[in-house]
Amino acid sequence: MRIEITRSGGFGGLTRTWSLEVSRTEAEQRWLPLAQAEAADDPSDDPAESSEVTATGAATGAPAGAAAPRGGDRQRDRFTYRIAIGYTEVHLSESHLADPWRELIDRARAATPASGPGKPEELL
Amino acid sequence: MQRIHCSIIPPHLLTRLAAVRDARLSVASEAARHALLELEPVLQSREAALARPVRQGSAVMGTLTRRVSDAGGREELPGTLVRREGGPPTGDAAADEAYDGLGATYRLFSEEYGRSSVDGAGRPLDATVHYGANYDNAFWDGERMVFGDGDGEVFGRFTASLTVISHELTHGFTQYSTNLEYQGQSGALNESLSDVFGVLVEQRELCQDAAAASWLVGAGIFTAAVEGTALRSLAAPGTAYDDDVLGRDPQPATMADYVVTASDNGGVHINSGIPNHAFYLAATAIGGRAWEGAGRIWYDAVLNGSVPPDCDFPAFARATHESAEKRFGPGSPEAGAVVDAWTQVGVLP
Repeated sequence: MRIEITRSGGFGGLTRTWSLEVSRTEAEQRWLPLAQAEAADDPSDDPAESSEVTATGAATGAPAGAAAPRGGDRQRDRFTYRIAIGYTEVHLSESHLADPWRELIDRARAATPASGPGKPEELL
Repeated sequence: MQRIHCSIIPPHLLTRLAAVRDARLSVASEAARHALLELEPVLQSREAALARPVRQGSAVMGTLTRRVSDAGGREELPGTLVRREGGPPTGDAAADEAYDGLGATYRLFSEEYGRSSVDGAGRPLDATVHYGANYDNAFWDGERMVFGDGDGEVFGRFTASLTVISHELTHGFTQYSTNLEYQGQSGALNESLSDVFGVLVEQRELCQDAAAASWLVGAGIFTAAVEGTALRSLAAPGTAYDDDVLGRDPQPATMADYVVTASDNGGVHINSGIPNHAFYLAATAIGGRAWEGAGRIWYDAVLNGSVPPDCDFPAFARATHESAEKRFGPGSPEAGAVVDAWTQVGVLP
């Protein structure tokens, strides 16, 4: 199963995309439960504060709710990550990134030598 | 206007002196009792000033206090203190650039606008360099600025450009003044203030007037492999880089090209191009030293209370127009330049 990681924000506001292939078993046993847990862990009702899991393919055209990552705090210029595991997406802030996600991001970066394209995601 | 006196003798000593009944110390004792009477309202007003979450002016004049730490390549803060205020250069480029950059930023706010540090009350300026391994970013964490060394392929070290350091420190200034929410248009204004005062710090250090300045943010932090001069351009948003790997600078210059996106907190680093360009147009129309004309107007707007945390572009435009009229007079060329600038970028009709 393909996992695609899109990093936006940061001082430069540059968007980078990396991807890797994992087995269906790994995705279902490790990453999908983790993605669901991110949403369940966060009791906040404020979309700006919460991580969100959304199913792509359906109408995800409303940007405000779709990607507001965690980090409605005093952090500025931090990265924001969108991780798509098959049809499931999780949005995470760099300042709230658990170790397994860091490992996944490192693997994806290593698996994508000529990182790019730099096209900003979801530009309408 | 409220005046706050600074007493060099601590209150507990004054109290002891005031209580002395020895005739040989009667003059000192009387003076101490008098000083304590004066001190009471001072302490009260200082307490009130410190209790306010947002300070509109400088309450207590402080001095420049810098502390630069080294994270040693780990993602842990604050790291080891390597240079404190007045200490000798470390010989490490990143640590010394951060130290000098904090000083330059402090001087702009202090010497031009009379503000003591980011909070107006002399808060020490903390920075950490060598954060993380191949770390491609610089950020403000709510208390300190943090700089990575870059990956060596796209980015070199982030302290190499003064505008990066002044940009991060200005996030501190914004946090303690308007505290603009970091989402959508208010977030783009937050970013724009950091770019605006970021370039003004550099222009002032280089003694450049508006016509001579580069108006670039982050020049010199790309490696030679990247097709680009900087991360952002206030003079021509959207033209700072155009590279095979990074793509093209996505910043719009006008509302016609406003980018609606879910990434980057609603495009805070993208749509900041619009208020950035408005500042550039106002500053070049006014001419001369940008930190004295347009910079002063923007600073006034932020400090005069008319920029709420959820401010949008039109409300910010009106706030700058008002502060231009207040400082330079209604119908002044400066006020006209500000309105023209916001009109050209499509924020005002």
